[in-house]
Amino acid sequence: MKKKLVSLVLASSMVLSLAACGAQSTETAPADTQTSETAQTTDATTETPADTTAEAPAEPVGEQTINVCLASEPASLDPALNSAVDGATLINHLFSGLAKWGLDASGNLELQPDCAEELVEGVTNEDGTVTYTYTLRDGLTWSDGQPVTANDFVFAWNRAIAPETAADYGYMFEVVDGYADGKLNVNAVDDKTLEVTLANTVAYWDELLAFPTYMPVREDVVANEAWATDPSTYVCNGAYTMTSWDHNSLITLTKNENFYDADKITMNEINFYLSDDANNQLANFENGDWQMIDDVPTNEIANLKETYPDEFVTAGQLGTYYVCWNINENILPSSSTLTGADKAAAENEIRNALALLIDRNYIVNDVAQGGQVPASSFVAMGLTDADGSQFYENAGGNSFAGYYDVSEDAYEANWSAALETLKKYYTFDEATQQFTDFPTLTYLYNTSEGHKAIAEAIQATFAGIGITMNLENQEWATFLDTRKAGNYSIARNGWLGDYNDPISFLDMWTTQSGNNDVQFGKGDNASVQAYSLDITDLGYETKVENGTWAETYDVLISDIKTCTDPNTRYELMHRAEDLLMSTGCICPIYFYTDLYMISSNVKGFFSSPLGYKYFMYCTITG
Amino acid sequence: MNTKTLMYIVKRILLAIVTVWVVITVTFFVMHAVPGGPFIGEKAVSESVMKAMEAKYGLDKPLGVQYLTYLSDVVTRFDFGPSLKQKGRSVNDIIFDGMKTSAKLGLIAAVIALISGVILGSIAALRRNKIIDRIIMIITTAFVSMPSFIMGSLLLIAFAINLKWFPANGASKNGLILPVLTLSLYPMAYITRLTRSSMLEVLGQDYIRTAKAKGVSGMKIIFGHALKNSLIPVITYFGPMLAGIVTGSLVVEQIFAVPGIGRAFVNSITGRDYPLIMGTTIVLATLIVVMNLVGDIMYKVVDPRITLE
Repeated sequence: MKKKLVSLVLASSMVLSLAACGAQSTETAPADTQTSETAQTTDATTETPADTTAEAPAEPVGEQTINVCLASEPASLDPALNSAVDGATLINHLFSGLAKWGLDASGNLELQPDCAEELVEGVTNEDGTVTYTYTLRDGLTWSDGQPVTANDFVFAWNRAIAPETAADYGYMFEVVDGYADGKLNVNAVDDKTLEVTLANTVAYWDELLAFPTYMPVREDVVANEAWATDPSTYVCNGAYTMTSWDHNSLITLTKNENFYDADKITMNEINFYLSDDANNQLANFENGDWQMIDDVPTNEIANLKETYPDEFVTAGQLGTYYVCWNINENILPSSSTLTGADKAAAENEIRNALALLIDRNYIVNDVAQGGQVPASSFVAMGLTDADGSQFYENAGGNSFAGYYDVSEDAYEANWSAALETLKKYYTFDEATQQFTDFPTLTYLYNTSEGHKAIAEAIQATFAGIGITMNLENQEWATFLDTRKAGNYSIARNGWLGDYNDPISFLDMWTTQSGNNDVQFGKGDNASVQAYSLDITDLGYETKVENGTWAETYDVLISDIKTCTDPNTRYELMHRAEDLLMSTGCICPIYFYTDLYMISSNVKGFFSSPLGYKYFMYCTITG
Repeated sequence: MNTKTLMYIVKRILLAIVTVWVVITVTFFVMHAVPGGPFIGEKAVSESVMKAMEAKYGLDKPLGVQYLTYLSDVVTRFDFGPSLKQKGRSVNDIIFDGMKTSAKLGLIAAVIALISGVILGSIAALRRNKIIDRIIMIITTAFVSMPSFIMGSLLLIAFAINLKWFPANGASKNGLILPVLTLSLYPMAYITRLTRSSMLEVLGQDYIRTAKAKGVSGMKIIFGHALKNSLIPVITYFGPMLAGIVTGSLVVEQIFAVPGIGRAFVNSITGRDYPLIMGTTIVLATLIVVMNLVGDIMYKVVDPRITLE
């Protein structure tokens, strides 16, 4: 009997400890855009301040080995299959594509030719397609000594879009002619000449060339499905080779002496430790074992900023944290008799008013505390406009950036304006300063202390005027399922762009998009004729009054995708965001930042706004 | 070993097989019933990619067919299939890697816990109510009541950050010392208390008094008679305890970044990596069932009075 009891107690304590941990891990691992979509970034022309710690390498000391920790075990180090930021950083060290990100003489991030001798201009053909012809450098070799040929690029790119490869980022080749037919218009003219034709002019083409999915791979190497999981079969062509991979523990990269640019690579060995626990990362940083960590515990941020002023870094990132509404959720009081377009217009106005009530400065400064920037538009800070200025600053056409003024001074005025709007639709009790007939809302978020704190801040704000909002949290994968299916009324959301072009924030809201969490044009909203679009002033024929979402937004996005004039194209993208924001279904909270710590004796480090980190030009000084 | 015992063991093995089969079946169907899937992320993948992946891993087939295919792969080839998340790796590989670390960690911790627990427990019993007994009891009470995440964090702060004696991650040289220590403290304290109380009970028995009366030396009484009998409850505890710590402790692995099986298990669930969920569950369940069985048999070996039925 006794032994039964003991084993019972043991068994249950084990189960309990696992359960407890489950909760803990969901909290740390899949935070915001955890799957860490890869990246995008700044255009070569923009002067994005690269986060460089120093220019000239001071006196290097010791073996020149750096220990860093970005995340836990990467899901894949196959350039075609990777879809995470940490994986992209590793691939950038292991592979060399046609282009790469580097620093110019004054320390600004720029695109530079890598395998290509130069980043040539495209030649526009009669049918509007654009052809680029690249010449590969001399003496490019794979880590096993074989030469890198133009054919390796042709193979790699077509492989990435093949359905059987099942690459998340296959759509990065959408701009290349032939993508829709499953055979890219890219040819190896000879071993050293690569010719690629795009469907039309693409402003961010050079940037795509530096994207991990565009790296070459060799056919005989990837024939082995497990090639990218073991150093002995991992054949690459970049600045480093993989010398060991102790799964879930440590990946070691060693400088590739056969790399064409090996002379410039100053770091001889990089140890990528694999841990997703922010507290553990911090412990290793604090005791000096690791020189760079890519995650910090949220509740330590304020403290770390003070203790490590030179080592705690807040860098820009191309992403927006926002709250989204289910467009089909009825939020009018039960007494309301509005229907159709009138109902839709009223709901748009209400949602936009509620967005004004949220104190974003409080959320950023006191809740999230990570140097984030209050947001009032969806396309994130860091994405550029046609003239190279910030797209978000031009959004909304106001004297301030975005669709409403989110400066601290404007908060009181926003509050009064919101209250006036809401009073049009709901009963307001002047004595208690509360609305009495606002339907109860439910806010859905994925289990995490950070998301919970933000949810509570919004809940408290709404409660102040009598709006009851219940909070509901779900485990990550369940949450994604619920949100995609539209089984929610309000949900937290976040988005990181894939490249520096606002379309990466806008095409996700078309009716059929897999990311259309708001359910635009779906369910009851499919038949709602409440959206207007007039782009006749830009030379288009489209003029719709009170049309459906499919007749307006979807049309606009397809126009943007085929537009070849940059100025018109950017103007169309502003119109798309205007339409999107007018619904009030997207309530931006803040623009993301990338927080990390790097030891002050590491020189020559830089990162990109996509979150990619570059260690190859680092030196460790005394 | 008589036939009765043999029959008992055979019966228990059969029962163990049935238990593992039930675990497989229940886990398989519950896992598929949970919302979410392995291929959804914050960014949606295109329908064709989703279809291609489902076809590749056989997830497009009816659940019953998937179940039978899985069962036959496991039974006939010990093949747990490919991981859906760690692309290109097989579940067998992942489990093998994780178990290697967890087993090393767990076995060392278990041996430390057993040896030091028995020694401390015996000392406490023999010096009952003396100052040394009090100290041992206070310390072990603290260790037994302190959850491992607090213990781990305290050790981390003290020895890795402040004193810098040991690294804070399992991948570095000497990196397993702190996790082993964290893992061993609870069972050590528990074994100490078990040994103490059962030894006190044994010391009060008539046969000990008889031995004393016959003039047997104190040492011989303790090692020859008292200790052996007082270890019976410790042995009962040791089997399941070993299963528990060898199969990985997520908390300790997380705190010290140790690449063990516990992390693989929990991550497989949050990521809906179906084959890895099944693989880790089967391995862990089998280990626990086997350890319990071994514990019961050991029980019989040290105490012939017990009949196994």
